[in-house]
Amino acid sequence: MILLALAAAIPGIFWDAPPDTAPALKEAGIRRILVPAGQAAGWKQVEGIAAEVADPAKAVKLRTPAVNYRFEQASASRVPWIDCNGWRFLRQPDSRYFYDATGALAAMAAAEALAWGADAMIKTDPAGLKPLAEMLTFGEGLERAGMQPLADFGFIDDGSSIAGEVMNLLVRHSLLFRVVRRPDPNLKLTVQLGSKNYPLEQAKNPGAMAQMVRADLTDGRRSLRIYGSAVVVGRLETAAGRLRVHLINYDGAARKVSGLRVRVSGEFPKHRLALAGLPDAELMDYEVLTGATEFTLPELRTYAVVDLQK
Amino acid sequence: MPGPYPGRAVRVHAEKSIDPGTGKVDLGTVRQMLSAGMRALTGDARDEDAWARFLTPKDVVGIKVNCSGAPRIRSSPEVVGAIVERVLAVGVPAENIWIYERFQNQLVTVPYRDFVPQAVHIHAAEADRGSVLGYDPKVYVEANFFGEEDTRSNLMRIVSQTLTKIINVPNMKEHQASGVTGCLKNIAYGDFSNVARSHRNEKTNTYSFIGTLASVEPVRSKVVLGVMDGLAGVWHAGPFSNNARFRFYPKELMIGTDPVAMDHQLIEIIEAKRKAEGAISIFNQSREILGDNRDPNKNAYIREAGHVEYASKLGLGVYDAAKIQVKRIEL
Repeated sequence: MILLALAAAIPGIFWDAPPDTAPALKEAGIRRILVPAGQAAGWKQVEGIAAEVADPAKAVKLRTPAVNYRFEQASASRVPWIDCNGWRFLRQPDSRYFYDATGALAAMAAAEALAWGADAMIKTDPAGLKPLAEMLTFGEGLERAGMQPLADFGFIDDGSSIAGEVMNLLVRHSLLFRVVRRPDPNLKLTVQLGSKNYPLEQAKNPGAMAQMVRADLTDGRRSLRIYGSAVVVGRLETAAGRLRVHLINYDGAARKVSGLRVRVSGEFPKHRLALAGLPDAELMDYEVLTGATEFTLPELRTYAVVDLQK
Repeated sequence: MPGPYPGRAVRVHAEKSIDPGTGKVDLGTVRQMLSAGMRALTGDARDEDAWARFLTPKDVVGIKVNCSGAPRIRSSPEVVGAIVERVLAVGVPAENIWIYERFQNQLVTVPYRDFVPQAVHIHAAEADRGSVLGYDPKVYVEANFFGEEDTRSNLMRIVSQTLTKIINVPNMKEHQASGVTGCLKNIAYGDFSNVARSHRNEKTNTYSFIGTLASVEPVRSKVVLGVMDGLAGVWHAGPFSNNARFRFYPKELMIGTDPVAMDHQLIEIIEAKRKAEGAISIFNQSREILGDNRDPNKNAYIREAGHVEYASKLGLGVYDAAKIQVKRIEL
């Protein structure tokens, strides 16, 4: 059962090219693919690559994770627009997802799916094979058993598009929530659009609504803060005495983040960094404070996982 | 700050200090201006004695330059070179002198290396623009201005961890957001990360943020001297200097230890120049001034020139004009 859960947490490569492309897959280090039903018989004959049938038409299609700076458009905000699918995973955690991402963006898609533990298939092009394979190898090296998402507040999701966009903005600000049906006393706050505190009219500006939630929660009570980049999104998972910090640089296909400061609630003297593309990197300026822990990543190319322990 | 000479500013003017036509600075004249200014500020007859009031041979000395208007308007390499000569004369080893600024891409456009010994460090906090690595994670001011996610402005690591004294070398410039950018802004916005977030649309929070940053320890204690480079300046659309029309040439160095008194003098200099050019006051906070700042009566922000007076309320210096002693020297 645990093995099945682990397999589901690692994204798969959807490959609809014929079996004569197998050498390119092998060269990239790929040994397992998802294929359309019509290609399955041919791929069964290929040694060294395990093929499994999958149907993208039955999956929820996602945006390619990236940053869109939209320099050509005037806006009320300097904050870059992040195409992040985190809210979709939170709304439909049991769905299967499909990305169509070329080149280095395929690795971004894999990083996002890994960070949210999403069951995703990723279609890419020949240029995306190697970065995608490297990210999947990175993901396979992460011990995932027993970790549960950590949320600061609950969000009552009515399934509407406006609720979806508010959830999207909350995720992009690394405001940690989980979808609930009714207020959960174990959470610091419950957000329900249309309630007295969160009028539907104000939710028409989802960015402003996200700021209202942030103000009600207060920065001091947030379990995760990220300093030094507007294009990094984080989430937390927890288990007894442990905390896992997922950090994704949504601009990772284009440029790295040079230095990132992170603060989490809780005192964790032990730490281990797994940084995609930089295996020997160490955390800098590590501090265990009263009720909190802070550290600096020397850089963030696409995806980092920081495991903390009491 | 405000150091041993609160409410005092020495202004040294020399007509031949710079050729406005070519921008060429006369290093010999700059040396004389610096010498005259330091002796007037301290009352000492010898340069050695004047400088020894602020530095010892054991100090690690930072020279905070301003390169935001570079390459055209910046802390002149000749002025910085002349200061380094005097720091060396105190007995500070060249390797204990740091010329520093926040942004590498601006710093490299100014030929400081040509005017100082090889061992002097020339250092920028951000080799990669936006990097936090050059800043001290333990020393910061936290404020949420517009809902930005990163609410911290961190102090440069060399300021908190390496330098023991700082000489502040700003320019004489108008600033679109803060009204002027002189001693206070150069040491505040020039030493801390993530400060541009304090402006959005026409609103700027420079009124209180500049003084707040400047009063943070250990910045406040380590800044011992200000040498404002007014050989050339900017009277509109600063701190940048993309439009030659808005440059001017006060041909002046201003010296003191009180950043508020010095910046109050700067306000008067900028206001006088703007008046002479027919431009509105930097204290005009009407929304009618908002617009394309190629017109000197328009601006992108509601300026907060009151930040200088606000800083005085934090104890950073003397703002009351009646209490400021200005010594003028003509060379």
